[in-house]
Amino acid sequence: MPIIRTLTSFLIRIVALIIVILVLGLIAILAAYYFIGPSFPLTPSMLINPQEAIAFTFALMDTDFFRIVVFPGFTFVALYAAIAGLWERKLLAKIQLRVGPLYAGKFEGILQPIADVLKLLFKELVIPRVVDRFFFIAAPLLTVTIATAAIAVIPVTERWVIARSDVGVLVIFAVLGFFPITALMAAWSSNSRYPMLGGLRALHQMVAYEIPLILSVLAPVVFAGSLNLIDIVEKQSSIWFALLAPISALTFYICSLAELERIPFDLPEAEPELVSGWLTEYGGMNFGLILGIAVYIKLYVLSALFTTLFLGGWLGPQPLPPEFWFIFKTFIVTTFLLIPRGVFPRLRIDLLLRQSWAVYFILALINLVVAAAAVLGGFKL
Amino acid sequence: MRGMASDLLLILLTAGFAFAASVPFLIIPILIAPKNPNKPKETQYECGQVPSGGGKFSLMMQYYAYLLMFVAFDVMSMFLFAWGISLYTVGLSGFLAVILFIGILLIPLGFTLYHAARRELW
Repeated sequence: MPIIRTLTSFLIRIVALIIVILVLGLIAILAAYYFIGPSFPLTPSMLINPQEAIAFTFALMDTDFFRIVVFPGFTFVALYAAIAGLWERKLLAKIQLRVGPLYAGKFEGILQPIADVLKLLFKELVIPRVVDRFFFIAAPLLTVTIATAAIAVIPVTERWVIARSDVGVLVIFAVLGFFPITALMAAWSSNSRYPMLGGLRALHQMVAYEIPLILSVLAPVVFAGSLNLIDIVEKQSSIWFALLAPISALTFYICSLAELERIPFDLPEAEPELVSGWLTEYGGMNFGLILGIAVYIKLYVLSALFTTLFLGGWLGPQPLPPEFWFIFKTFIVTTFLLIPRGVFPRLRIDLLLRQSWAVYFILALINLVVAAAAVLGGFKL
Repeated sequence: MRGMASDLLLILLTAGFAFAASVPFLIIPILIAPKNPNKPKETQYECGQVPSGGGKFSLMMQYYAYLLMFVAFDVMSMFLFAWGISLYTVGLSGFLAVILFIGILLIPLGFTLYHAARRELW
């Protein structure tokens, strides 16, 4: 494609973009109408009769389409990711006695995520000549896809789940096992040294911290007696599992810091050492997809999992709706996952790996055995 | 109560929707972002120096022992999943059998960590 140098060529491209968006939007609306239209017809009498429109809206909220696209699905998670991105920068700024993003939007930089996305969309997508093109472009897309697949089993309330699976916990771990592969794919396809080192470190770190994660999740599973996440929350109505299995909760928290590649487990993205680790060759929206969207979707998945397993999900005092309690608790867990970035130094790779196997594995195992002994000894919930 | 196949289908649909929703994010920059390719921009990044040597170099995988341990203990954790849900069915004898299983698997872990502390290589 020719180089854009004049205002007219830029305007022509903007007009082409608007036309493409309108055509794609029309196709999307027709597809949605094809899938949900026959059971939920839009009749003209809805304009006159508001009761029908309200009934139509509530019936639409019960469909799978709405759940996948809007509420516990992609749009909600993308909005949460945007807000978490802004909240991280403001929180770290307040910890470091700065202010954070301030100018985008009238109130303390609240439009900063939108400004970031627009900026990244207009940036040049630089693809170095030596990379393996297919995997270079496929790796960020795959990371976002897999991160979103994990939210399909997380229940926001017993009514708002996408897939009520009887093996929900196993689905989460099956999906979490893909992230080392996509990191390695991104690193290997950018044919360069810093990404190679960063990618191998990311692989070792994510793989080493999955075992304590699995073991610390097993303690609530043992207390609840099933792998279904809805059952696990319902069994917490008398006491939260964070109080019954505190060491497992702590181990889950630390291992999710490691899975998210957050400080103190920041070595794959260590700035003074590896430039940007396995993300070095990525620019523009490629970078925005991985570092902006996929990482924060993973943050939501792990925070929501912590809330579901240890903090009692959507259960809370009655005047406020259960959806609010879930989002509130998830937000507090997210805050605690974001704070160590401003506080701790970084762990070296060999100390990191040794700590995972020598400390967290043993701790999670001890808590699992004690929980199983308590349940067998007659502890009933 | 739906069957298992339809749950997996919903998970795949969620993933597919996420894929379909992030493809426009890559198409839009291709349409409207400037394109000024020049040679320094398109080579790989080596902190401002001229990159020398290939990208994929032969690397000493000194932490491969941790990957081997992951493979073994991942299988162990799958068995612990199965044990965790069926606690009442297997009772006390099953509990002791699993304790023995975990104990036997902790012996190689102790051996590996002892060598890691001794040799300081991994």
